[in-house]
Amino acid sequence: MLKKFLKNKVAMLTTILIVFVAFVGIFAPILAPNDPYKTDILNKFSTFSLSYPLGTDHLGRCVFSRMLYGIRPTLGLAALTMLGTIGLGALMGLLAGYFRGWIDEIIMRVVDVMLSFPSQIMVFAVVALLGINVQNVILANVFVKWAWYARMIRTGVLKYRDRNFVLFSRCIGNRESFILGRHLLPSIASEMAVLASLDIGWAIINISTLSFLGLGVQAPIPEWGAMLNEAKNVLTTNPVQMLAPGIAIVVVVSAFHLLGDALRDILDPKEANL
Amino acid sequence: MKNYVIKRILAAIPLLLCISFVCFVFINLIPSDPAEVALRVRQVPVITEAAIAEVRAELGLDKPYLVRYVNWLIDCLQLDFGVSYTNPSRTVAGELVRCLPATLMLAGTSLVMVILLSLPIGFFCAVYKDSWFDRLTRGIIFMTTAMPAYWVGLLLMWFVSIQLDLLPTSGNGTWKHLILPAFTVSLTYISTYIRLIRNNMLENMKEDYVLYANVRGLPQKTILTKHILKNSMHTCIVAIGMSIPQLISGTIVVENVFAWPGLGTLCITSIFNRDYPVIQAYVLLIGVLFVVFNLLFDILQTLADPRLRNEVV
Repeated sequence: MLKKFLKNKVAMLTTILIVFVAFVGIFAPILAPNDPYKTDILNKFSTFSLSYPLGTDHLGRCVFSRMLYGIRPTLGLAALTMLGTIGLGALMGLLAGYFRGWIDEIIMRVVDVMLSFPSQIMVFAVVALLGINVQNVILANVFVKWAWYARMIRTGVLKYRDRNFVLFSRCIGNRESFILGRHLLPSIASEMAVLASLDIGWAIINISTLSFLGLGVQAPIPEWGAMLNEAKNVLTTNPVQMLAPGIAIVVVVSAFHLLGDALRDILDPKEANL
Repeated sequence: MKNYVIKRILAAIPLLLCISFVCFVFINLIPSDPAEVALRVRQVPVITEAAIAEVRAELGLDKPYLVRYVNWLIDCLQLDFGVSYTNPSRTVAGELVRCLPATLMLAGTSLVMVILLSLPIGFFCAVYKDSWFDRLTRGIIFMTTAMPAYWVGLLLMWFVSIQLDLLPTSGNGTWKHLILPAFTVSLTYISTYIRLIRNNMLENMKEDYVLYANVRGLPQKTILTKHILKNSMHTCIVAIGMSIPQLISGTIVVENVFAWPGLGTLCITSIFNRDYPVIQAYVLLIGVLFVVFNLLFDILQTLADPRLRNEVV
């Protein structure tokens, strides 16, 4: 499977791009030409130059440095969100699918209720309830998304739980936790990878939307959504301000989408030619 | 068939109860004491323990949890969602009714745009599969799924309103104000449905009945419009119908970008003002709409498609 992955150009290119962006984010303090918080009001809205590669914003801060630092909250928060979502979803899905009975009933009823709310409204409701804060944004996103994973993983577990290798493992006296972790989880991991790489794009857009509305990452911290919110105010005079963060979001999100599609093709060639 | 419809409607009731319970728990999780808030709303100068206890009894807050839930539910069924925290002279129901028409107008226009644009484009993409038109559309679709709605809104606002000076940037009033926000809302759905229609039609093209129609010597035009399109429409209509509540809730971001005075703007303002009853009523409204539309179009689908009808009976 790794061979197939290495052969697939789209998968390789997008992975390289994403890893590159992540590294740029991690090493932002070294790579950034200027301090992203330092304001220079006399030098506001300056155009492209060597010292300010993407110009400056309405407070004279270096847009390029802010873009680099902006990778951290954008990718970091999205990754945390997905980690929480998959963790909770996998736990619930495995429990429901493997033990069945009343555990399954309870979990799946909760999942049904969760899925009957439009996710966007739930995110807003949770943020409203807990207060405007970055942690709460992650909590809200995990809260609305875990049910999808729980359902998908449960279906996957149901498919595998009566296969011979699982039955054999139980026969020779392996513990339930061992069977869950070593047999069932790896069997459904590939499906999960596809869904996760598609959903991380969703998480990035969602978090940046919240920041844009002022409900997520707050003002001085550079975040792409928050930068667009500041750009909105100078839309008429300096429309260039909104280009860089927007394009960055589109590039990163489409990289994740392409990666997800490529992964699906690698794992399931059936749908590739549609 | 009748039994099936009744069964589905009965199955939706516990779901509705669960949703309402979640909304009820929601307002009870807020950090502030409702009795204290009620006193503040009435502008009582000094809030004493005795006064709080009195209000508790008056509002029924001293009763057991479930009793309060039932009372609240009965109030909700009579469309009484309480009073806004920030503006006590207004009821929540009144606020919702004030903002609902603008949002419905926006969502309705978006829906019309979605249907008018995605049907023909999806149709032509399927007919001329792998042509330059199909490739271009697929490229654009791919781009739009990666673009945040608010950014699209900003770009459109800048290009159409400021550069070309064709339409107003924000506000509400004439039909001109409606075009940009509605298009921004519909864009995500348009790309989803173009893909759905295209793939549905391509799948249908492989079916035996198409081969048979070809064998009979029917003109391609008839086969495409009368047979394939008709068969692909079922799923699309259901999918579009089920997404109506999503469309209504999806306006929340776009309304803020374009300063559209609808439910979305109300919701965001309420979040900033910690006006919990308004948020609660809004979440409840959208949740109920979601269940109702799902139910409605599920039943419609079974009515329209004889194959499904045989399965359920």
